[in-house]
Amino acid sequence: MKQSFWKFFFLIWLVCISNASHALEVIEILGGKASQIPVAVIPFKDNNAQKSMQLMHEVITNDLNRSGLFSSIDISGVSDYPIDEREVNFSNWAALQSQFIVVGKIDAIGRSNSQMQVTWSLIDIYKEKTVLSVAIKGQPSQYRVIAHRIADTIYEKLTGSKGVFDTNIAFVKKLGKEKYSLFIADYDGHNPRAIVNSRYSIISPRWSPNGKKIAYVSFEKKKPVIYVQDIETGKRTLLANFRGNNSAPAWSPDSKKLAIVLTYSANSQIYTIDADGKNIKQLMRTRSINTEPAWSPNGKEIYFSSDRAGSAQIYKVDVDTNEVVRVTFEGNNNVSPSLSPDGKLLLFLNQDNGSYRVAIQNLLSNQMLKLTNGPDDESPIFSPNGHMVLFTYKDYGKVSKIGTVSINGLKMTPIDVGSETILESTWGPLSD
Amino acid sequence: MRLPWLENNDNLQANLFTLVIHLALFIFMIFSVNWQVKTPYYAEVELWDAIPTQIKPKPLIKRATPKVQKPQPSIAEKIVEAKKDADIQLKKKKAAELKKKKAAELKKKKAAELKKKKAAELKKKKAAELKKKKAAELKKIEQLKKKALEEEKLAELQKRLLEDEEVEKVQKKLLEQDDLERLQEELRNKDLAKETRIAIEGTQDLVAGTNSGELEKYKALIQQKIYQNVNKQLCGLDPLELIFEIVLMPTGDLIGGAKMIKSSKIESCDQAVERAILQAQPLPMPQDNRLFSQLKKLKLKFQPNGPIN
Amino acid sequence: MKNSLLLASLLAILAAGCSTTDINDSMGLNAPFPELESSTGDGSEVDLIGSSQGKELNQSALDELAAAAELADRSVYFDYDSFAIKSDFEGVISNHATFINKHDAAVVVYGNADYRGSHEYNLALGQKRAVAVKQALEALGVNGSAIETISFGEEHANQTCTGSTCGQDRRADIGYVGE
Repeated sequence: MKQSFWKFFFLIWLVCISNASHALEVIEILGGKASQIPVAVIPFKDNNAQKSMQLMHEVITNDLNRSGLFSSIDISGVSDYPIDEREVNFSNWAALQSQFIVVGKIDAIGRSNSQMQVTWSLIDIYKEKTVLSVAIKGQPSQYRVIAHRIADTIYEKLTGSKGVFDTNIAFVKKLGKEKYSLFIADYDGHNPRAIVNSRYSIISPRWSPNGKKIAYVSFEKKKPVIYVQDIETGKRTLLANFRGNNSAPAWSPDSKKLAIVLTYSANSQIYTIDADGKNIKQLMRTRSINTEPAWSPNGKEIYFSSDRAGSAQIYKVDVDTNEVVRVTFEGNNNVSPSLSPDGKLLLFLNQDNGSYRVAIQNLLSNQMLKLTNGPDDESPIFSPNGHMVLFTYKDYGKVSKIGTVSINGLKMTPIDVGSETILESTWGPLSD
Repeated sequence: MRLPWLENNDNLQANLFTLVIHLALFIFMIFSVNWQVKTPYYAEVELWDAIPTQIKPKPLIKRATPKVQKPQPSIAEKIVEAKKDADIQLKKKKAAELKKKKAAELKKKKAAELKKKKAAELKKKKAAELKKKKAAELKKIEQLKKKALEEEKLAELQKRLLEDEEVEKVQKKLLEQDDLERLQEELRNKDLAKETRIAIEGTQDLVAGTNSGELEKYKALIQQKIYQNVNKQLCGLDPLELIFEIVLMPTGDLIGGAKMIKSSKIESCDQAVERAILQAQPLPMPQDNRLFSQLKKLKLKFQPNGPIN
Repeated sequence: MKNSLLLASLLAILAAGCSTTDINDSMGLNAPFPELESSTGDGSEVDLIGSSQGKELNQSALDELAAAAELADRSVYFDYDSFAIKSDFEGVISNHATFINKHDAAVVVYGNADYRGSHEYNLALGQKRAVAVKQALEALGVNGSAIETISFGEEHANQTCTGSTCGQDRRADIGYVGE
């Protein structure tokens, strides 16, 4: 009895040994690529007969493409429009090199079918399963907002970062010889509406981080002064009209203070002032130009441009200790600094050989990356998630336009706001 | 004077007259002889610096140099004279000294000028020599440069040749391997008895065992294919690490997906890496069973933002 | 005892009065902000030349200004990215200095820049040019507090200028209050 037990045990042990895995081979993969996720956005099935709905898939496709992290698959040759996982032929989509598809349908709901409900899914082709399935309700006239929100949800799911497709931008247009207007619009340029009309120039529009107000510089008093305007009510107050110039308003991260630039009959210097106009404090005193202040997201440092070294370069000053450190060293000069929302990247204009272009610099490694070529690129600002940059540029017609460029440098897309010349532009915050 | 005795004797007159003539002629003869001795031009010529001093003819009449008696001067006059003399002497001396000095100065000046001239000439000469030397050096440097460039070119050419050789070698090796694999395939496809099969696999065992480069080759191929798909943009900027385990079929397809052993803590990054693995199917797999069994289960380690130190 | 106390207090007063700043005060950096109370928040506005100490030009002065050929030229031009006053323009400045001193005039110097570069940096550059002209006027005896400086940056510039035509925009203009 004992013998057969041990025999059995021995056999089992043999089998186990023979099946025993060797130490696993290890393969190390170092680094990676900046590539775009191929996505196909299929037209949603419209049970509603409202033609505008058919454009939703285009809005989603444009949003994802503009971000530079996605590339849309050409579906012109596809006749099969699934609306959910059950209808998807996975091998077909895999053959088209698509990693994900977005499908959905639109139903009319509510009393007299006045509302619509969009039911959509994000489907993973390789895993052959649905990643997300969501239903959204809204008015037919809101189809663009709904499409932007769908794009945001997809973006967040696949990249881990918030999408910015439902945010706003502001820009100043010169409509005629003595006709300037400050507009607010969807981030892609749709639905523009003027919030200030003036016979004189308007520059440096800046949204407060809480999204409620916008500060700007106006020349309507025959000299530059700073206004702060409530976006919802349109009511404005004069923040700074000191002797000389008043310009370059920059909101602190908590929206309570602004850094501004005054000349007070001498060269441009940086001050801080409370949002209600009180408590003005001079931040530094030098014989050189100090201008274009920009706060770091933690509120501890202010970046600015200065010609103290001979040519315009970017520096940062510690708000408490007043210690100044130079930040940029490449090219002829560097101006217009701003910080990414995570504080890790500096965005600015780099000039060399006479061309102004948009550039970013990693503040840890100090590596610089040129995002555009110029020659007259200006007014750069990050999107609220730090993945895109809005800027103005001159096309061959010598008219200034606006566009976005992804921070991986892969995608530059114009924003269509008409043919008049743009002076400056800025990006609004994420809505909470 | 009247010589009476001479006037009365005609014979005597005549005899005296002939005697005088003969005497005159005799004297004349003597003088002629002397005169002839004076100038033997064609007989012998001796060259001297100075004109040969002719033997002066004796003057027939000696002129008497009249002696002028100088009046004896008085003592005072003598003193004055002496002073005058002394002055004159002094002046003379001074003049002589001055002359000497001037002469000496002139000599010095001339000597100095000569020295200068010589020095200038020397300088010129030296400058010319230096120039020559420099030119020679430059030439040398040029030659060296040329040589170095040529050597560089040569080295590069050699390098390129070597590289080409290397490439050829590798290509050759790959071709050999291809041949070997083809042979193995052919054998495998034949309907052989199990024992024969074991025998062949056994041989292959030996081949596979000694050729560990094969394993590394396939690992590299797998690594490359997956790397092409890793979208590191979704992994932020900070260094992080992910580890997956996969099980493969001989076709290179995964069995049961990719199992995450270590997460990056960023969901989009985990998903991006998993996608990269799935998208890389079918992974390059060896035909050789023994080799395949070593690659059947793999541990994949990712560091998309660079090495973690 | 009393004497030493007096001495000590005198010294203390002296010491307090001797605190120095490292910036030349003619740049107005230490000047207080008289408009602080009147601007901001409540929307009230400050006059352009509210605190200047010069006088607005009266009619006869204006006539003189219009008639004087040497005062017709109001502009000082600058090289690219520069605020240095070139010798070509010393005449313009001195002519106006004479006029200003004669009438104790209130002056505004307007600084400008060409369109290249950011709007805000160009505001600062235009300002530096205006200040350069102001300092040149002060060197000729003009009272600094009679000179206001304003910059328009690139806001009046030709946005499509090329090469040498951009030079027109790099200038500072002398203006008089009252004209």
